[in-house]
Amino acid sequence: MRVVVAEDLFLLREGLVRLLEAHGFEIAAAVGSAPALLDALLEQRPDVAIIDVRLPPSFTDDGLRAALEARRRRPGLPVLVLSQYVEQLYARELLADQAGAVGYLLKDRVFSDDQFVDAIRAVASGGTAMDPEVIRKLLARRSRDEPMARLTGREREVLELMAEGRSNSAIAQRLFITEKSVSKHSTSIFAKLDLAPSDDDNRRVLAVLAYLNS
Amino acid sequence: MMPETNAATWGIAALATFGVIARPWNLPEFIWAVAGAALLVLLNLLPWPDALAAAGKGIDVYFFLIGMMLLAEVARKERLFDWLAAQAVRHSGGSAKQLFLIVYVVGTIVTVLLSNDATAVVLTPAVAADLAAVAFMLGGLYGVLLGAFWQSVIMPHRQWHNLIYGTVMIGSWRTAALAGMEGLAFIALGLWLVPRTLGRHRPVAALAGRVPGLTWICALAAGRAAAARRPRSTRSMLVKVLRGRLHELGWGVLLLPVALVGLPLYLRPAPAGAVVLIAAAVAQLLPAIAARILPLALAALGFYGIEIAMSWFASDYGGQFLYRMYGTAYLDSRWQAALAGAEGLAFLGFAFWLAPRTLGGNGQLAALAGRIQRLAQTRDDAVDVAAAELRRVERDLHDGAQARLVAVGMSLRAAERLIHSNPTAARALVAEARVTSSRALTDLRDLVRGIYPPVLADRGLGDAVQALALDTPIRTDVDVDLPGRPARPVESAVYFAVAEALANAVKHAGARLVQIRMVHSGGMLRAEVTDDGAGGADPAAGTGLLGIERRLGTFDGILAVSSPPGGPTIVVIEVPCELSSPRTYSC
Repeated sequence: MRVVVAEDLFLLREGLVRLLEAHGFEIAAAVGSAPALLDALLEQRPDVAIIDVRLPPSFTDDGLRAALEARRRRPGLPVLVLSQYVEQLYARELLADQAGAVGYLLKDRVFSDDQFVDAIRAVASGGTAMDPEVIRKLLARRSRDEPMARLTGREREVLELMAEGRSNSAIAQRLFITEKSVSKHSTSIFAKLDLAPSDDDNRRVLAVLAYLNS
Repeated sequence: MMPETNAATWGIAALATFGVIARPWNLPEFIWAVAGAALLVLLNLLPWPDALAAAGKGIDVYFFLIGMMLLAEVARKERLFDWLAAQAVRHSGGSAKQLFLIVYVVGTIVTVLLSNDATAVVLTPAVAADLAAVAFMLGGLYGVLLGAFWQSVIMPHRQWHNLIYGTVMIGSWRTAALAGMEGLAFIALGLWLVPRTLGRHRPVAALAGRVPGLTWICALAAGRAAAARRPRSTRSMLVKVLRGRLHELGWGVLLLPVALVGLPLYLRPAPAGAVVLIAAAVAQLLPAIAARILPLALAALGFYGIEIAMSWFASDYGGQFLYRMYGTAYLDSRWQAALAGAEGLAFLGFAFWLAPRTLGGNGQLAALAGRIQRLAQTRDDAVDVAAAELRRVERDLHDGAQARLVAVGMSLRAAERLIHSNPTAARALVAEARVTSSRALTDLRDLVRGIYPPVLADRGLGDAVQALALDTPIRTDVDVDLPGRPARPVESAVYFAVAEALANAVKHAGARLVQIRMVHSGGMLRAEVTDDGAGGADPAAGTGLLGIERRLGTFDGILAVSSPPGGPTIVVIEVPCELSSPRTYSC
């Protein structure tokens, strides 16, 4: 799988490259600025890009802007955005095109390399990977609303993990339940939130995120 | 006179009086007064020779009033009353009671030394001159009222009742004592009422409604305020007044104009000598103030001299006016009257020559002095705020990230020792170190957010507030209209002010919906945070909003809170600033 890495701090960039190579990814390009990133994204056509929000030249959200711009030109280009902090505003912007294949994670998630690699693969295959921090805030904001209040405790847990972009098997593993009961819970959640059921995992997650973000 | 004509006369008089007080259809007072008089004459209820005689009778008072009004108008144009009101508000020591007491004393002294009319005429433009004078007005209304009553205690021969009711004379010590007690009762009522009304967030209109017959003064002030663009300093002052945070009040400053105008008039026979002496004395102490007052005092003397002369030539009745002013002084001859008139004209000419040369310049001086005082204050605040902020950062680092990194180091060292003897335990320690380092990052993240939120740096105020709203657990509507970005420090101060208001709405008010509106117009950035919570927030009670206010003060910004019990709570933040053109960055 070919990856573009964009990170301006040399140590972190090298660390990421090493970690990715250790997991069998091929590094198509490792860049340190937003213009270089945009070029790499459009020319290299990687399977997935891992992008730091803050990049030169302005050291603000140039990385995010470059990612959004690249996706505007190549819809559905998989990007996983990393940041020292997560903002729901940015999550919203990344999800806005409803095309999937986006991730938005805190940088410290890299510490758990297995989960991090899972997230990269999920994004590359058109799924989403939202930081638990983002999902926690989203749920906190909606938790008092009807019909969210009608969800059971277990359904809430499933919803939270689903919104993070985890697959049914990952959710089952995490909650120590069977995959069958996960899909039972998700059917119930979709019914309660009045969302159209879908067999496609990624479509389902996007629907949940769109609901939470509305 | 027949009873029905009597009734008609009284009815017309009552209607005209009502018109003067209430001003229906926004018609000015004089139209109502003149229409009433004309109607009386036209209906033959009042024979026109009698009407002319009555009008002629008051001619001395007219001249006096015109003089006082011209004087007041000059003072208003030179912003003397603004300046006085500003001084009064600034020096009131945070106490509405003290403000009242001082204005009351001024009202009394003006009344005693000049007359009730003078008090009204001097104070009314102060009220109407500017919205800033609202503080002065509220105290002044009581002051005028009570001062007028109080004078019946100390000067029974010059009665308020006399002017209002015609010829109610106090004939004995008993009636004088009665009037005195009445005066004391009013003072007590005023002292009780003022802190309960003046110091709270009550709308001015409500207060005016409690003072019967004075609504028009408030309406006048409000109308002028609405019509004219206020200078920002005045607005911030009004906000402070409405918030009940009146500042120190200067006794001497308020008394000076009264003493300078009043004493020479009172201390016959050498008014010119007296005013020069006093003005010279004051000039040595406070040149700026003296320069403001001297032309006005001269103008007053000028009008007074002319008035003496006119009253002699106009009618014998002028004598009565002199009697009121001086006790028993009559002019003996036309020569004396002419002399007084010439003297008056000379004073007036000198005053008009002097006024623009001193008042304007000193207005700038006084404004500069006020500006310097304000800058010194806000600079101290800024230094304090910055120091407190650094202390907080140090404490947070010390207790948070620093402590966690020490723990990480210790876990790693222990793991290093166990790595061969007990690999399982070493592994657990390394995992623990990883978790702790994650927590350290979380601590650092929170700290950074508290210093300068990254989204603010990335996107500016509008998006940062949007992000804030998204992180808020209740519905928060944001409406931002900012074509560019203010300077970074301003942006940051406004962001934290809005964040604090929002946090209060969530934490204390139990709100279900918050609305945030931000606009920039006329060089002013304005942010409004409205919640539908329980209200009753007292900005003076918590330290949060006070800190925010000090921080905004560095940029000449203000924060005002309106939070009646039952809500809604509205927090308004205003900071004068320019916007830079929007960033045009593209990848």
